[in-house]
Amino acid sequence: MFVCFIFLLISGCSKDPIREKTVDPVSPPPGDTAKLSYKNGIFVINEGNLSWANASITYIDNKTDSVYQDIFESANSRDLGDVAQSMKVLGNKGYIIVNNSNRVEVVSLKDFKTLASITGFNSPRYLEFIDSTKAYVTNMKKNISVVDLKSMTIVKNIATPYWTENLLHYGQYMFVTCIGSFNESSANRKAQVYVIDTQSDMIIDSILMGKEPVSITVDRKNKIWVICTGGYNNYEAPTLKRIDPVLMIVDKSFTFSVQQGVPSRLCINPTADTLYYIYGGVFQMPVSAGELPAEPLIPANGHLFYGLAIHPETGQVYVSDAVNYVQSGYIFKCSQANGQVLHTYKAGRIPGSFCFTPSSQK
Amino acid sequence: MLGQSDLSQIPVSAFNEIEVLYGASGLTKTSGAFGGVVNLVTNPNWNNRIHASIAQTLASFDNYSTEAGFIAGSSSFQSNTRLNFSSARNTFPYYDDFTRETVTQHDASVLQYGITEEAFWKIKDKHLFTARVWYSYDDRDIPPVVAGSSTYYPQKMLNKTLRSILEYKLVMKTWNFSFKTAVVNQFMNYRNDSMFINNDHTYYSWFNTARFTYSRIKNLTIKPGVDYTYDYVKSDAYDGIKTRNTLGLYFEVGYKFNDHIKSQMILREDNIDGQFMPFIPSLGVEYKPFNKINLYINANAFRNYRYPSLNDLYWSVWGNPDLRPEYDNGLEGGLTYNYPSENGSFFVETAVSGYYSWMRDMIIWSPVPDNPSIWKPQNISEVNARGVEVSLNLKWKISKLHITFSNNYTFCRSTYQETTSAEDQSLGKQLIYIPENTYNGTLNLNCWNFLLGSNFTFVDKRYTSSDNQSYMPGYPLLNIIFGKEFILHKFVLSLQFKVNNLSNVDYQSVKNWPMPGRNYALTVRFEFNK
Repeated sequence: MFVCFIFLLISGCSKDPIREKTVDPVSPPPGDTAKLSYKNGIFVINEGNLSWANASITYIDNKTDSVYQDIFESANSRDLGDVAQSMKVLGNKGYIIVNNSNRVEVVSLKDFKTLASITGFNSPRYLEFIDSTKAYVTNMKKNISVVDLKSMTIVKNIATPYWTENLLHYGQYMFVTCIGSFNESSANRKAQVYVIDTQSDMIIDSILMGKEPVSITVDRKNKIWVICTGGYNNYEAPTLKRIDPVLMIVDKSFTFSVQQGVPSRLCINPTADTLYYIYGGVFQMPVSAGELPAEPLIPANGHLFYGLAIHPETGQVYVSDAVNYVQSGYIFKCSQANGQVLHTYKAGRIPGSFCFTPSSQK
Repeated sequence: MLGQSDLSQIPVSAFNEIEVLYGASGLTKTSGAFGGVVNLVTNPNWNNRIHASIAQTLASFDNYSTEAGFIAGSSSFQSNTRLNFSSARNTFPYYDDFTRETVTQHDASVLQYGITEEAFWKIKDKHLFTARVWYSYDDRDIPPVVAGSSTYYPQKMLNKTLRSILEYKLVMKTWNFSFKTAVVNQFMNYRNDSMFINNDHTYYSWFNTARFTYSRIKNLTIKPGVDYTYDYVKSDAYDGIKTRNTLGLYFEVGYKFNDHIKSQMILREDNIDGQFMPFIPSLGVEYKPFNKINLYINANAFRNYRYPSLNDLYWSVWGNPDLRPEYDNGLEGGLTYNYPSENGSFFVETAVSGYYSWMRDMIIWSPVPDNPSIWKPQNISEVNARGVEVSLNLKWKISKLHITFSNNYTFCRSTYQETTSAEDQSLGKQLIYIPENTYNGTLNLNCWNFLLGSNFTFVDKRYTSSDNQSYMPGYPLLNIIFGKEFILHKFVLSLQFKVNNLSNVDYQSVKNWPMPGRNYALTVRFEFNK
């Protein structure tokens, strides 16, 4: 007991808060911080565990393949928050959507220091820019937030009683996937794609979808593609739908076999003629294909593929492995030709999405 | 009920004794309880005539509690009534790592109350009847995680439980018999505005236990028994009403080889809804090498299983009806030594024990293969757990001064034994949030009805990642207590002042969940004895 008192006195002397620590010290940010540091690379947005508030950002340098962990925490001496959902960059700023912290963290791409925290969201999911002054942010609860990028505040809400998920900026319109009311069962959720006029911020049309439309992209022939998971608990078979944005109708639909789980993370290559998605493994499908591919480009083989992106310049496939959700995840850089793993990078907890720096987007 | 009972909801004052049965000894009460069973016991004091008490506690952060008890009876009948009420707002200040300022905890209120009535009736030291009714109410807010969010969605949990237990014991010369029947009715509401959840659960359970003990044959005790449990759950979160019938057959044999060696064997077989569960045996030996020295050596080998909870099986969307029970095979052994001085002024007891257990088919909530957006409980994990427990307890009386000193140290290494892919770095690593080292020590000094006590706890680092790359550092906690009792004839008035977390350690037990710093509690207690 006496020994304990001594120990207590020693430990009691350090008044520093007792907080989480890492075994390996976090690697310093790349290069000279006086110069633009994060100019040619990939940000990996690590979701972290829900309600653990352990989200983080990993940076991969395109040229050297060097990996820098926890760059937000290094730059700002605090955690990023609870569940980082996605990130977008515009000019020299990055916008990180922190879902369960109901915040969008605006950071400088120079040193990753936070410039502002935009608050007032309702479980935000994804952000899409309309121009250099305006962006939309989808929310799981209630509405779509219209953000003024100059004042970095929410200036307006577009009322949607439903959970909106992913966005696609197409001409003067924003196509927004909508899952349906958050508190309803799969059967009662009305899944659709809203079409919003970005000038008036009004919903001008909606297109019925399969249950849970989660991903949206556009191909070179200006056809819009949407992946619908079929709803939680496999309510219906998942589908890949093609929308004609002129007629505002679904003009093609492919149905997945339910046995393999649910498809997600629809992406397109730089030439916009090949689709990629996760369905256990990573699948590759030319937009002209008459049916869904039978064999994956990258088989899962015990990996828990969670996030997917195609490099906008090289066309290489970046897929994340969340492993078991309670340890550091991995990123595999793979060849788009044969799916071969070209490089493996360590990431943070539950790497979910990717964001490419402006220079890697040309 | 739906998996576990929350110990924070059990007012400890309502029971004389909390008996924690570790490891294999838990098999004597029920199957399916890994890590031991907590059994709440009250034993009547047949010498009592009237005992009344009332206590009021005022504590930091708007926390108040009141307890009252009335025990009355004769040598053949005793009644014990207890009431408790507590209201806590838990508005403690903490340092917010996001805003970098000290803020006050909010939405962390707890309101609890309960009433317990127990009646004991004894006929000629032969028949003992016990009846218990216990009602408890618990309404609590679940505070938000520290994550810099300015938006807060309320989360609440309401629990109302009524337990009624009837027990009969017949004690004969060479045999005895006991029968217990209990009905538990629980209502629970969980509300989470963030997830739009507002679910009611209603749960009924009927437990029956019969035990027969026969010890007519020299050195041999035979104890057969039968248990029957019926569970009924109506829940907004389940797809329809779920029931479960559990029939358990129990057989215990104790054999005393000589004055030095005793052994015990327990066999158990459960049948759940017509399906036989795996057979669970346990074998233990106790050896006392010397006649005059209180040294005991014991060893146990056991097998146990835990049947999935009704939530694991049936929770809509997330439940997994295909779950198999978890298994645990284990070995444990230990040494106990005690020395009481002849005049009773000194007592020392020390114990060392170790265990190794192999847990298989462990149920872990994890993402469904090919559908990472859905988490379900699955039989995926293999865990090996081994550990050591060391304790040292002293009682010493030096004229008017009474010293009690107890120390408890545990070492526990629980490791993942299975991985899913080459990238999974968890193999052989410590389970998350399980500390390897824990120490607890208490030193109490009593003199002329003054009490000076201290309690020290050290919880070592707990990993927050299964690859053991990040961890919550260990934290020390010191609580001290000052007390004074005034005895006036049949009345006792006692005052106690307690300081918790004396050195004001700013710690987190779970990442980003704030914990209170230094805090105080003052208790005034009034007792009457006749």
